[in-house]
Amino acid sequence: MRDGGSDSTATDRARILARIVQANARRDAPPHPGRLETPTPSDAAEVFAARFAASGGEVVVLDAGTRDSAGVARSPGERLGEFVAGLGLERPGVAIGACVPEELRPPGPYAPPETAGVGVCLAWAAVAETGSLLLESTGGRATQLLPPVLVAWVPRGRVFGRLGDALGELAPRLPAAVGLHSGPSKSADIGGTVVVGVHGPGRCIAVLEETASR
Amino acid sequence: MGSGKTGEGASQYRARSRRIIGGAPEVREAVTDATLSFERKRKRAYAEVDFDAWSDWARDVKNHVLARLDHYLTEAESRLAENGAHVHWAADAREAQRIVTRLAEKASAKTVVKGKSMLSEEIGLNDALERAGIAVFETDLGEYVLQLLGESPSHIVGPAIHKNLEQVQRLFAERLGTSLSGQPDDLARAARQTLRDAFAGADIGITGANFVVAETGTVALIENEGNIRLATSLPKIHVALAGVEKLLPRMSDLAGFLQLTARAATGQPLGSFVTLVQGPAAHPGDDGPEEVHVVFLDNGRTSVLEHEHAWEALRCVRCGACLNACPVYRQTGGHAYGSVYSGPVGAVLNPALLGLRQAMPLPFASSLCGACGDACPVRIPIPDLLVRWREEAQAAGLAPKTEQAALSAFAGAAARPAVFRLAGKAGTRLGATQAARALPMTGAWSRERALPRPSGRTFRELWREGIE
Ligand code: SF4
Repeated sequence: MRDGGSDSTATDRARILARIVQANARRDAPPHPGRLETPTPSDAAEVFAARFAASGGEVVVLDAGTRDSAGVARSPGERLGEFVAGLGLERPGVAIGACVPEELRPPGPYAPPETAGVGVCLAWAAVAETGSLLLESTGGRATQLLPPVLVAWVPRGRVFGRLGDALGELAPRLPAAVGLHSGPSKSADIGGTVVVGVHGPGRCIAVLEETASR
Repeated sequence: MGSGKTGEGASQYRARSRRIIGGAPEVREAVTDATLSFERKRKRAYAEVDFDAWSDWARDVKNHVLARLDHYLTEAESRLAENGAHVHWAADAREAQRIVTRLAEKASAKTVVKGKSMLSEEIGLNDALERAGIAVFETDLGEYVLQLLGESPSHIVGPAIHKNLEQVQRLFAERLGTSLSGQPDDLARAARQTLRDAFAGADIGITGANFVVAETGTVALIENEGNIRLATSLPKIHVALAGVEKLLPRMSDLAGFLQLTARAATGQPLGSFVTLVQGPAAHPGDDGPEEVHVVFLDNGRTSVLEHEHAWEALRCVRCGACLNACPVYRQTGGHAYGSVYSGPVGAVLNPALLGLRQAMPLPFASSLCGACGDACPVRIPIPDLLVRWREEAQAAGLAPKTEQAALSAFAGAAARPAVFRLAGKAGTRLGATQAARALPMTGAWSRERALPRPSGRTFRELWREGIE
């Protein structure tokens, strides 16, 4: 939709574009230099874990095949539930992102994002070179942002080495919004001292299943 | 150019500098600490990668974009429209204000939450919205502090770096009821509570735009607090203000620019949060805004593009690295410059944005030591541009010789810490008024008024002794 139907913005559009054309009339357009080639990390999952932790994030690796005392296999969601129970949350309740599949959901008690102690979501991917989680808006933004703790599943094999590779793969199917989370919310605006959890989650935990490397 | 705050008082640069240096030594202390910390982090972050190659690449991408800006703007407009976003164009500040206030009025908006946006400062948006009866909440912690104080940002990245802890303690005790000895954690928690309520009740979220990707119609925003993620997620309407120079051709370019900007600004591989907005929520699981509006603003940028030399400043990614590297900026902080864009980038951008006469004497507020040019991640030749503006000012008879000499001497002293330290010491031994005469820039002005008496020891001496 262009300009919401206002005449003056249409006039301004024409004026701005004409001025740009005029300003560039005497200049040659240099070619695009191509892609910035950054080194590809050899072990993406390991580099992601190190960088994410260096920015204040936490990384947990859940090993496959855990069984309870009776030898019954537990789902990843149940294992995550035990992990979440041990977090010492400042308030109870788990908010679940819309695209977290059943087997990855910890057992309740559930709560809306506004009051939950932890939000659990499924990352689309993680990125090694920047130590980032890539979260799609379709998973529910409030769950990713409002609880004081965020726990994000990183699907097996979904750790990209480079940000450009991840964004390149996502580009043809971008959702309405994407959030890259590289650690907890931080600010040094008061006297230069770093505080965490100013607006977004104060703890940001990436859960990798074994052999999540890509 | 329409109304707005940019360049409201560049001509008072010397008077304000004198007042800050003589009357508010805590500003220099706070700004010096903060900028040196930014500098250390930036240098470390540049050294971790092949930053020379990154900077060459970034310069070349931006040069390509600027030369084909009309093409990339219209491509972005088409993609955004396909994504369901509304695109608006504003030639000047007044038109941008009008677009945003009309959107707010149409939505019967009562409350707006804002993410940090230099562009909204530039166009004086808060005043315009408040005149229309709309409550505006700055949600970046530093901006929130400044809004409570009625001040404007003094640094592109750290808007409140000129404030120390004690000042915020006093402010929050008075306004939010926190303890006078509240620590940064306690103070941040109090602000978070107030601002969470504002987010929950806000009708519109307003942000700037670090980049706009033409290929996908993506507005990209970098931050550390998460307030921008909230402002683009919770209210029903999101408005992004983007200077027309913010375009990038492709997603692969964005990957490079996000990292380059974060390393230059805060020394991080990436900000804690990056938001990529394509359009309004369209998926059942997505609880984001129902409307997304992108306002492309000129406000003097096409004049900069037209300028034979200054066009290179349009590569600027607003990382603040040149401010942090500048010994002159460090002495006064950003408010002395009297313009939204302060420090070296302001000194080269403002003459083209506003006109050289309005921006005087900023091109002279530099020792030409070259630190800004070395720090700049997109290779803007800031010292060369400063020299060109000085030449133009001289040719136009805009720079009286005595003022040039005073400013150059001040800048030269600021760039040589030993000289400045000596002048600072003179202040403690002789009394501030005599010392001001010893400082080259303030010498001529100190005859007009008495300055407050400083502490008996210099800040550096106190610091070394670990007291106070
Ligand atoms: S001029 Fe360069 S260093 Fe200064 S803010 Fe702009 S991009 Fe950063």
